[in-house]
Amino acid sequence: MPFRHIAAASIAALALAAPAAADWKPTKPVEVIVHTGPGGGSDVLARAVAQMMEKEKLLPVRMQVINKPGGNGAVAAAALYEKKDDPHTIGFITSVWIAGPLTSSEAKITLKDLKPIAGLLLEPAVFAVRADSPFKSLKQFIDAAKAHPGELKQSGGSVTSRDNIVRLQLQHATGAKWAYVSFQGGGERLAALLGGHVDIMVIEPQEAGEQVRAGKLRVLAQLTEKRLPGYADVPTLREAGFDVTPTRQIRGVVAPPQQPDDATKYWEGRFEALRKTESWKKYIHDNQLEELFMPGAEMKKAIADIENQLREQYQLAGIKTVR
Amino acid sequence: MDIVSGLAHGFQVALSAQNLLMCVIGVVLGTVIGVLPGLGPPATIAMLLPLTFKLDPTGSMIMLAGIYYGAKYGGSTTSILLNVPGESSSVVTCIDGYKMAMKGRAGPALGMAAIASFIAGTFGVVALMLVAPPLANFALAFSAPEYFALMVLGLAMVVLLSGDSLVKALLAMLVGLWIASMGTDLFTATSRFTFDRVELLGGIDFVIVAIGVFAVGEVLGNMEPAKPAEMLPVPKGLRNLMPTWDDMKRCRFAFLNGSVIGFLIGVLPGAGSTIASFISYGIEKAVSKHPEEFGEGAIEGVAAPEGSNNAETGGALVPLLTLGIPGSGTTAILLAALVLWGFKPGPLFIQDSPELFWGLVASMYIGNVLLLVLNLPLVAVFAQLLKLPAYAMYPLILGVSIVGVYTSASSMFQLWLLAAFGLLGYLMRKLDYPTAPLVLGLVLGDAMEKALRQSLMMSQGSLSILLRPIPTALLAIAALLLLVPLVRKFNAYRVRVVEREVG
Repeated sequence: MPFRHIAAASIAALALAAPAAADWKPTKPVEVIVHTGPGGGSDVLARAVAQMMEKEKLLPVRMQVINKPGGNGAVAAAALYEKKDDPHTIGFITSVWIAGPLTSSEAKITLKDLKPIAGLLLEPAVFAVRADSPFKSLKQFIDAAKAHPGELKQSGGSVTSRDNIVRLQLQHATGAKWAYVSFQGGGERLAALLGGHVDIMVIEPQEAGEQVRAGKLRVLAQLTEKRLPGYADVPTLREAGFDVTPTRQIRGVVAPPQQPDDATKYWEGRFEALRKTESWKKYIHDNQLEELFMPGAEMKKAIADIENQLREQYQLAGIKTVR
Repeated sequence: MDIVSGLAHGFQVALSAQNLLMCVIGVVLGTVIGVLPGLGPPATIAMLLPLTFKLDPTGSMIMLAGIYYGAKYGGSTTSILLNVPGESSSVVTCIDGYKMAMKGRAGPALGMAAIASFIAGTFGVVALMLVAPPLANFALAFSAPEYFALMVLGLAMVVLLSGDSLVKALLAMLVGLWIASMGTDLFTATSRFTFDRVELLGGIDFVIVAIGVFAVGEVLGNMEPAKPAEMLPVPKGLRNLMPTWDDMKRCRFAFLNGSVIGFLIGVLPGAGSTIASFISYGIEKAVSKHPEEFGEGAIEGVAAPEGSNNAETGGALVPLLTLGIPGSGTTAILLAALVLWGFKPGPLFIQDSPELFWGLVASMYIGNVLLLVLNLPLVAVFAQLLKLPAYAMYPLILGVSIVGVYTSASSMFQLWLLAAFGLLGYLMRKLDYPTAPLVLGLVLGDAMEKALRQSLMMSQGSLSILLRPIPTALLAIAALLLLVPLVRKFNAYRVRVVEREVG
């Protein structure tokens, strides 16, 4: 049961974390814009953060989640842009906000037009095969893909997603070839793998963990910068012998473009305080995420790096980019 | 834990005062949001999720599941009384349910919807309990070619949904398929028919089309002075609102059809209750001895889809609870809830958390009984809505539709779309085009296209992948369905010739 046994510890954390008081403070409920419908990844994170902020008494007001679904984040980005200098609005972003505008000219507002507040975490992923698969390591899979070009299959999301990018990177680095089959939902991708219709997939560590425990899946490698605690004996791509840097799947917070600096500073401070709480640490641990706090300036640079990496990979793969 | 002791333990859990209360809250709330168009279970469950962190997870799951299946009961009420689908899974119920209401049989339609929901919903729970693990494997055997064939079969149902003119039905279906193709293509990241509008990158929401074409179109159609809307008096008293014994006998097959089809389609990830209700409606019409009554207020046309969408709930919980795979929007949120409460959904979930699994199953038996008891007397309450005069009724429908659409996306663009589809629905009515095929094309088109392209990606471009046993059988049934009208025409011709010769 989350958040129950930790009140005492978190009060201590709060006392330590309390920063020098900023000039600006919210005076009414804060609107948090997310690009998914209720229950989507950003929505769940935003609601969990709102819950933690309340639990840890980090905010004098309530956080209210506003769903602006559509256009891979473009609708939410436009909604944030329209808020101009509003200090009481923030938005939760993910790498989709970077990838989407690269291929769709319809997206008029991109992350470049918004003000970064803080990066919060990275979403790691692992390569998994069925437990009865002949492949015991990523190298064995790649060798087989080299021997039988195009016959092995990977299930994943859109062609622009990280799942496909890492495949392109590995193909490029090794000369192997395997097919990529897109599915809309994560459940369908996993069902295709478990049903034996595809051979490999990129999956979230938390989701994979249960399947591994039940003896249904085997994890071959992790797309992380360093090994996750839950997968201490699984190599990263680099450790497995592949000179490939997987695209960072970032989650963070941004503000409307002209939000006053003292307000943006205030928000950055709040998220830095949140990061030190037990609630946050438990959330990161339970969901097997990679904790990575970045102040606004650093996050801006990280976003630019991700964008350049994605653009390069799309162009190599022949996916049309528009900016 | 075997089934008997598991269920006994489950009832112990579910019948505790606290959990019983959670179950009542869930099903009542579910019925209410089911009645309101636009506001569906995914949004409601997501909004309530933070509240459940302070509560016991078993009780919370019982409540959230209650919302999920309770909404399916409530959805039919709006379909029948206002011709607005309260939930997308109740779209098909509009066809015959609303016609029955127009003919003064709103009561039996509402009663039958509740009874069919109860029978099939209970069947779904029994099936969930008995056959969950083997069925989960059946779902895994379904790959892209099988899904493609299933969707083709679904589209072939258009023959059964068409009114007088098959050509008009096919045209309407093509428009549905076209709308389904809008948005960013999953396979190439190319934009299709977005007209440079960012709001169209994700395609057009099914709910907007359904509410526009059915509700707004209907209101516009009834505004015309030449055709004053006539609201027939509703019989008073619960007794008159119940279906007759004859109705029940007519629906015997519909109960079975709805239960089995709904459950099986629920088990398949990605298919969903709307598709389940369309397919069981189609089957019901195909095997009926009087198919001409469908679309004119046939009570089986209410019983089959309403049963089907309730049995689907039990089915959809199978991959969620036995594999940790969510097959729909609502089950995806339930999965997120389980993770947030600290459970580990996956193949070992039932074994690790028997209290939650059996408590949930037992609560669903109780919840279905509660919903039946709740909905039958409430039928009379809701039926009062029909007595409203037109000047109160139509603004109310429009208001409810607009609020419903705005809550789901909070965007003005979506409201303009709603107006456009309302106009389309009105024109289709005026020109005698059936609206159901358009919705069918929209629901199935996207899934069918994806499945076909996935199949071809798997086979490296070879169509032979569609010749596996299950797809072949499903495609053959679809081809047979398409031949039905020809046979009927031939039969009618033969009868005429014989009559002429005899006479």
